[in-house]
Amino acid sequence: MKIELNELTHRYDVDVLRDLTITIEGYKSIAIIGVSGSGKSTLLRILSGLEQPTQGRVRVNNHDVTAPEYRNSVGFVFQSHNLFPHLTLLENITIVLEKTRGYSKKDAHEQAQRFLSLLHLGDQTHKLPRNVSGGQAQRASIARALSVDPEVIFLDEPTSSLDPVLTYDVLNAIKELRELGMEFVLVSHVMSFVHDFADYVVFMKDGEIAEHGPPSILEDPQTESLQDFMAKVP
Amino acid sequence: MMRTNGAALSPQEARTERRGTRAAYAAAIATFVLLAIFVVARQTRAFNIEALLPYRDDILKGFGRTIWVSLVSLIGSTSLGFFFYLLSASRVRYFRAFTDVFTEIIYGTPLLVMIMIMAFVIGPAFGSTNRALMGYVGLIVYITPYMTNIFKSAIASIGAEQYMAMDLFGFTPYQRYRYIIIPQIVRILMPPLMNNFSLIIKGSALLNVLSYRELFYEITLMTNNNFRFVEGFLLMWGLYLLITIPLSQVTKWIDRRWGI
Repeated sequence: MKIELNELTHRYDVDVLRDLTITIEGYKSIAIIGVSGSGKSTLLRILSGLEQPTQGRVRVNNHDVTAPEYRNSVGFVFQSHNLFPHLTLLENITIVLEKTRGYSKKDAHEQAQRFLSLLHLGDQTHKLPRNVSGGQAQRASIARALSVDPEVIFLDEPTSSLDPVLTYDVLNAIKELRELGMEFVLVSHVMSFVHDFADYVVFMKDGEIAEHGPPSILEDPQTESLQDFMAKVP
Repeated sequence: MMRTNGAALSPQEARTERRGTRAAYAAAIATFVLLAIFVVARQTRAFNIEALLPYRDDILKGFGRTIWVSLVSLIGSTSLGFFFYLLSASRVRYFRAFTDVFTEIIYGTPLLVMIMIMAFVIGPAFGSTNRALMGYVGLIVYITPYMTNIFKSAIASIGAEQYMAMDLFGFTPYQRYRYIIIPQIVRILMPPLMNNFSLIIKGSALLNVLSYRELFYEITLMTNNNFRFVEGFLLMWGLYLLITIPLSQVTKWIDRRWGI
């Protein structure tokens, strides 16, 4: 995957992202880390096309992220599963495939079944989100993100609302997907996971990229701010 | 098996649990039946339900009118309530203020007062002395802010993240409403809507003060003729419960079956 940021600035009331310029190329799973308010989730939303940058140019795999059709080529997994609550796990996927991707009923059903099975939910397909565990719902939302055949999947702290057991569940599922060759950009607080999942790490502080490199930077941070961060996180 | 969904019970435990609940409900219902029997037995006059038979047709008509006026009020207040919801969500400040002030006034008004004011003050001011009509209008106006409220909370219950997901997948505006927003709103709306319907049915009894010949009026009229107060009022009570209790049971069933 190739990510290019060119003088990217984003502001709400204050600057959330400040003049970021960087090109990252040749990695398959990139993790963005940092404290809350460092701008990491905003960067993820801009990379995924969910939010338009105030200034600057952003390209992912040579696509301009502000192009309207770009959004439909990515997968996004929210902090809380964000499934449509009135639809079963299966219907959450088939409705997207049928209505927005032009699948036939039968194809949509097969595709949905396939991805739910991939996420070990083959026997839960007809349950409503409220009737499955948080981890199962989050895995279903990953299946939904995958089902539209995205180029890159963006995950925004996918386990922050889950207990440790369910977190393990979801992170394991993501690892399996990486083995299948899918590409990820994720924001996570679980450093042990970032360490053995990501092949590139971006550390953000106060809206800037303070340090970036292979996961080994987590063991041997070069900047004071990353040293400080690593000393505080478990 | 992992118990991730609260405290899951084994089928055996669940059966015992259900049986215990059913027994408790049977006992509670029996308590009230016994109370009713006691009250009837304590009356000085012999209880004679047959004395009501000559009035059967009038009572049935009154019962029918109670249901009719309630249905009309339900439809009227739901429509008006939705319109007021639109006003309250408007960008025009005056409309939002208007619905707020209207709600405050209605919430502070007893239904009986609303009906009297509508029939004897507001109605005539607009040239209508049709008391039955003004009774309908009073009931509708009274329930409207309650309806506006349930629209507000139902629509607010669809969080911003769901809209983000709809954006992301590229649902068209029509598809959003047709497949995601309206199906959810209907499910969230049904139980409180049914509760308001029950409120309307009970409130409709007050229309008797306008000589509107609904259930309360018809039975009171009869008791004034034949002095069968005990039989008449018990029957009246029973007939109201005959509508409201099944209604509340259906509401609970809908919530269990379709709730999200």
